Amino acid sequence: MKVLVPALSTSLLLLAFIHPATSFKAGDFKTCSQSGFCRRGRALAERARENVDNWHSPYSVDPLSLSLVSERASLTARVKSELYPDIKFSLEVHVHEDGVIRVRMDEVDGLRKRYDEAAKWALAAEPSISTDIQWKVDASRARAAFGQQREHEVVVDFKPLRVVLNKNGKEQVVINGRGLLHMEHFRNKTVEEPQVETEEEGSDTQEVLKVNPNAWFEGNSEDAFWEESFGSWTDTKPKGPESLSLDIDFPRHGHVYGIPQHATSLDLPTTTGENPFFEEPYRFYNADVFEYLASATTSLYGSIPLMHAHSADSTVAIFNVVGSEAWIDIAHPNTHSTSTHWISESGILDLFILSGPTPTDVFRQYGGLTGTAPLPAHWALGYHQCRWNYVSSDDVRGVQKRFDEEDMPVDVFWLDIEYSTDHQYMIWDKKNFPDPVEMTNDVAALGRKMVVIVDPHLKRVDDYPVYKQARDLGILVKQKNGQDDYEGWCWPGSSAWVDFFNPASWEFWKSLFKTTKGSSWSWIESTEDIHIWNDMNEPSVFNGPEITMPKDLVHYGGWEHRDIHNINGMFLPKVTSEGLIARGATPKRPFVLTRSFFAGSQRYSAMWTGDNLGTWEHMTVGIKMVLSNGIAGMTFAGSDVGGFFGNPESEMLVRWYWVGAFSPFFRAHAHLDSKRREPYLLDEPHRSTVRNILRLRYSLLPVWYTAFHETSVTGLPILRPHYVIFPQDEAGFSIDDQFYLGSSGLLVKPVTRPGVTEEIVYIPEDKVYYDYFTYQTYRGSPKGKHVTVPAELHQLPLLVRGGSIVPTRDRPRRASSLMHRDPFTLRVALDESLTAHGELYLDDGVTYAHKEGHLAWRGFSVNNAGAQLRLSNVDLAAATPRSAVEGGAIATFDRQNAFQRGIESVRVERVVVLGLPDRPKRVVVEGGHDLEWEYAPGVAAGAKKDGVASVLTIKNPRLGVASDWAIQITL
Amino acid sequence: MRPCLLSLSLFPLIASALGRPQTHGVHPSFLSKYKPEGSTWTCLDGSKTISWTALNDDYCDCPDGSDEPGTSACPHNTFYCTNEGHIGASISSSCVNDGLCEPACCDGSDEPAGVCENTCAAVGKEYRKVQETARKLRRTGSKIRSTYIAFAQKEKKRLEAEIESSEKEVVLQEKEVSHLKDLVDRTEAISAEVLEHKTKSPLYASLITHHNALKSLQREHRKHLEREKQLGDILDNLRRGYNPNYQDMAVLEAVRGWEQLAHLPHIGETEREEGSDGDEEATTPVEESEEELEEGEWTSLQLENELDGLLGVDHISLLMEHDAHVDDASSVSPQHDIRAYLPDFLVPQYEALRDTLVSWLQTLGVVRGSPNAASDATRAREKLNDAERNLDSVRKQLETARSDLRELFDLAWYGAEGEWKKLHNTCLTKDTGDYVYEVCLFEEARQKPNYGGQTFSLGKFDSWNLSPGVTEGSAEYYSKQVYGHGTKCWNGPERNVKLDLTCGTENALLTVAELEKCEYLFTGTTPALCLPLEEDRESGKDEL
Repeated sequence: MKVLVPALSTSLLLLAFIHPATSFKAGDFKTCSQSGFCRRGRALAERARENVDNWHSPYSVDPLSLSLVSERASLTARVKSELYPDIKFSLEVHVHEDGVIRVRMDEVDGLRKRYDEAAKWALAAEPSISTDIQWKVDASRARAAFGQQREHEVVVDFKPLRVVLNKNGKEQVVINGRGLLHMEHFRNKTVEEPQVETEEEGSDTQEVLKVNPNAWFEGNSEDAFWEESFGSWTDTKPKGPESLSLDIDFPRHGHVYGIPQHATSLDLPTTTGENPFFEEPYRFYNADVFEYLASATTSLYGSIPLMHAHSADSTVAIFNVVGSEAWIDIAHPNTHSTSTHWISESGILDLFILSGPTPTDVFRQYGGLTGTAPLPAHWALGYHQCRWNYVSSDDVRGVQKRFDEEDMPVDVFWLDIEYSTDHQYMIWDKKNFPDPVEMTNDVAALGRKMVVIVDPHLKRVDDYPVYKQARDLGILVKQKNGQDDYEGWCWPGSSAWVDFFNPASWEFWKSLFKTTKGSSWSWIESTEDIHIWNDMNEPSVFNGPEITMPKDLVHYGGWEHRDIHNINGMFLPKVTSEGLIARGATPKRPFVLTRSFFAGSQRYSAMWTGDNLGTWEHMTVGIKMVLSNGIAGMTFAGSDVGGFFGNPESEMLVRWYWVGAFSPFFRAHAHLDSKRREPYLLDEPHRSTVRNILRLRYSLLPVWYTAFHETSVTGLPILRPHYVIFPQDEAGFSIDDQFYLGSSGLLVKPVTRPGVTEEIVYIPEDKVYYDYFTYQTYRGSPKGKHVTVPAELHQLPLLVRGGSIVPTRDRPRRASSLMHRDPFTLRVALDESLTAHGELYLDDGVTYAHKEGHLAWRGFSVNNAGAQLRLSNVDLAAATPRSAVEGGAIATFDRQNAFQRGIESVRVERVVVLGLPDRPKRVVVEGGHDLEWEYAPGVAAGAKKDGVASVLTIKNPRLGVASDWAIQITL
Repeated sequence: MRPCLLSLSLFPLIASALGRPQTHGVHPSFLSKYKPEGSTWTCLDGSKTISWTALNDDYCDCPDGSDEPGTSACPHNTFYCTNEGHIGASISSSCVNDGLCEPACCDGSDEPAGVCENTCAAVGKEYRKVQETARKLRRTGSKIRSTYIAFAQKEKKRLEAEIESSEKEVVLQEKEVSHLKDLVDRTEAISAEVLEHKTKSPLYASLITHHNALKSLQREHRKHLEREKQLGDILDNLRRGYNPNYQDMAVLEAVRGWEQLAHLPHIGETEREEGSDGDEEATTPVEESEEELEEGEWTSLQLENELDGLLGVDHISLLMEHDAHVDDASSVSPQHDIRAYLPDFLVPQYEALRDTLVSWLQTLGVVRGSPNAASDATRAREKLNDAERNLDSVRKQLETARSDLRELFDLAWYGAEGEWKKLHNTCLTKDTGDYVYEVCLFEEARQKPNYGGQTFSLGKFDSWNLSPGVTEGSAEYYSKQVYGHGTKCWNGPERNVKLDLTCGTENALLTVAELEKCEYLFTGTTPALCLPLEEDRESGKDEL
């Protein structure tokens, strides 16, 4: 929802008034040169570049220290730095069962301890280390081969230390190949430390007089070792320097993706090397950025340190689990290689190398580490209507009434911060919301839900029970003395924050969501139809450095805020979602929306791209950001439709609805200062266009739900960029303005520019595609082909890939929960060989009964037996029960499960077959009756020319959507 | 709405709508078109002929959807429920067979048989009760409304009388003016030539230039004052609303600078905390400490109070007076004292003649004992001016009365029967805790803070409901008033109010909501909207 400064407070508006064109305040956030450790890291890289011929890594493995764990593919060894012979480091390299290598390095017996719990929070479970892969060790290296053909090999070179992933003897990933590995050891502060001012842009390192023999590597100064200032804030660094620099190169991969969240193209542009696209490295430091730029490497609200590296030959990934501030430089030494440099402020090295070799493998491997996004509640895939703010319970009722009067489907109404008294979340402002439970029930009576915001900052007043209890429990974030509660400024004024790293906070927070009275305070003025929005959880602190907490604050276990900053945002939605699951008698799937996130956040919440602007640029980059989040596991993602700031003109708003309708998370939202822009307020013809867009989203809900299901099992993203589906098609590697929806075969290219009447769509293969609405055919070619598709404001370039079967529910309804008994339409888009297939997953959409096998998972296929096509509906759950739900929880599938019995009456009401070569002779249910059908002649799937495809419409075959059957089409 | 708690398994596989008659859901006015032609039927748009049994078979055959009046199979359809015992209703086909029993269809026909109870008996009864209550309210309200109409009639009479007397007065005044005008014309004819010459004097020309310059300066000055006030408001808002903990030095310096300039105390955090917003000291800058003024310079107070007077001076009169003044000072002007040019023997004759002329003029009342023709003309002009002002004022009075009379029964003002006239400037208020909202009908809406601070205009009466499709003078037209161009939100629009009114026995504001920044929605009641019931109207006619 929100911005770093209350827009109600006129200060910011005044600033906006003065600088209407450039509202992003670059001065609020650090550049690399203003961040001491980044400056040191980049300087190190610069020295290495300048002395490339004489450069070597000072780090090496002591071969004598090497030990192998019996029965497990784990190697441990001591690492030494020639710079500091007395400092000891440990190295562990593990080979996991699924082709993942984990590399850990830490300082041993140091003065202090590096933060080592980032993986504990990011990983869904401790990965299993392979028991059958063997390390082979000689004098200079250790190596372990793995993979089905043992085509992969991990090599640990001893001197200098390098870790390399090979495939068929060729280097894929090289760690420390350029010798930039540097783990700054803990040290004591020498007395006459020169102070280094860092306020000035590009402040030069200051000369220190003593001679430093390590200067060739470390440089000649102790730059910002013990203190660092930014603006009016000073970061005391009681632990001194502890940063980590690491080069990770991909000698055979010319494209890298991931490391969300940044407002950039999906194919990450360079930051170093020749003519870098950006000057600044990609930054990870979760921040509440006011009116962020639509193209920049500045940090945003969340951080997922996962990077894919891709080529036509293979896909690999690295997952560098770091919770502190971090910076990443990317360069392409040539078009087929990538080098990256990771600089992080604190913490151990804990790096996962995902060996691929296909995108699908990488998703499986990453899902195995951090978990997949669980199947959400079905209603959460509907349309969400939000605004800062719906001002009263009658306002909410009025908005609902208008949606119904206009027959526009909507599932969820949202309340932003103004529902609360003085921004004490969960405390209703009774003046405007006198009857919150009745209001919620009025919304729920139409099968809808509410989402209400609960932010992490707690107003520091004793009569706010949430604050009082948290304070009394001693679970608030502490000042740097580790004793006193930290006080910062946010929406309610003086605020405190729960330290969710403290396990004692978990039960406390979860208990708040009980809707019935218990021993401690809980939100009894809520119902199970209320779900939660967690905003401002970076955390946003209005009077803090970079609008967040000072780094020297102290969390549970004595860790500094600096160590855990980027992880912090994950906890609030984690504990909140656990609270929602636990609040009722029957556990129901929770919905939590988060702004801040870390690797693993997908297990708990959906995310949105924060406070975007109502501009075409933000609409465009929002799609790229959602794609990028999707490949990093955070699949349930979307951008505010319409843009948070501003008053979009009708054309932009309509286009944005098209974008939203094809985002996993589909919510319209608007700033307090903006005009109301609910879709029913649009003038015609735009109102009807948006009604049609909403109805299209709802009719495609079976496709969406099936895609979410697949994601929950495989980790594959819901919106799939080209390189994920066509990993060998070079022409698609940089495409991020069109994408496929799950495995459905739907290819979408939303329009994000004004005045467009047609759009060019790239078809990456030699296949026929059909316009979803008009059945016009578009044929690709083996090398890919660009086709022109009509794209006026009421149109969307939406194509169905030949060979797909798309199940939809075409009856307009007011809410998704009112569609559960509606019949299905199957759109069969034949390919050139007159075959097709599709999937449909269904369950109750609300509870966890699916994990006990209460579900239906169907496969539709058309087989071509010469004179006859056979469309069959088969039971996929029975065929592959282990893939039926996430985590392989079901061993065998009971076809008579209660859910499946309950939908026996849900039928297929219509089958539409596109691309038949001729009028069929007969259409019958196999072993049963003749069917009624109509045929409109047109272009065949295998024809050479394009035109409107032939359409066979089979009327009401009276077949259950979840039953086994087949229809024969005699040609 | 009541959710339908029916379990899904009760639905048979064969479309639930089967077994429904083909005319299920058809609006009575279309029933005649739902007749089989043998065993077939043609879609209402004529595009297709289908089997009669395909009607309401839960499959959409007709492109216009006309074959599925009783199911949800075709989009964009409406479904009609007869609601026996109550009144029929049409709902969207998207609400049919969705598991929810629509309140609009108390007979439950929107869902498969057995799903929804038929509640029409109770609903109908309740509906009639509510209707009866509404009728009673309307009857009571309409009685009050009739007093408003009576008031308008009285007002009409009053205005007509006023118009009549004003018209007479105008005639009288016009005569007086024309009489004086004659006189002035004659007098001025004498002096016009002289005057013409005198106005060409560089002194006079310069005076006029100075006058114009001063007038322009005053206009600019006012503009700047207004601007300064707006800037002051912005800065006051900034000062009160900024977040001191945000530590934005630019903002802090702006606030401090303003405080210094406006002689305001520095606003502290504690002061901001609790309730201090309310009893904030006056935010207008205190008067600048007296500057040293050069001799003759005006103080700002003088500028404020006396400049208008100065600019209102009649320069022609002044010119005359000036001449008189100069004449007195140098009485020996040769042009003026004709005697200097006369041979001595003629002087006594001239003096006699002059005295005769003056006395003659005095007799005519053109000059009073003054020998100066220009001055005489001035006096005549003043008198004429007075008379003209009187005439103007009477005319204005007349015009006002006429326009009041016109507005009285103008649809865009007080309605066909003048029923709203009574409510002109009737002020309705609503206390929401922090503010009292007030709307004085046909005048202005305001927001008054309860705990100190500025009162904002939320707009002046602008119009009735001008939404597209609303006919002037219709009930819907009078159900909404629009107040616009209130105090501008400096970061938003000019404040404005939409006042939604319904029939009620009292003039009252019920709710106030700010749905968007500075855009308010008020709801209220007024008897002026309580139209007489049809039967009362009939009986009322009889009584008449």
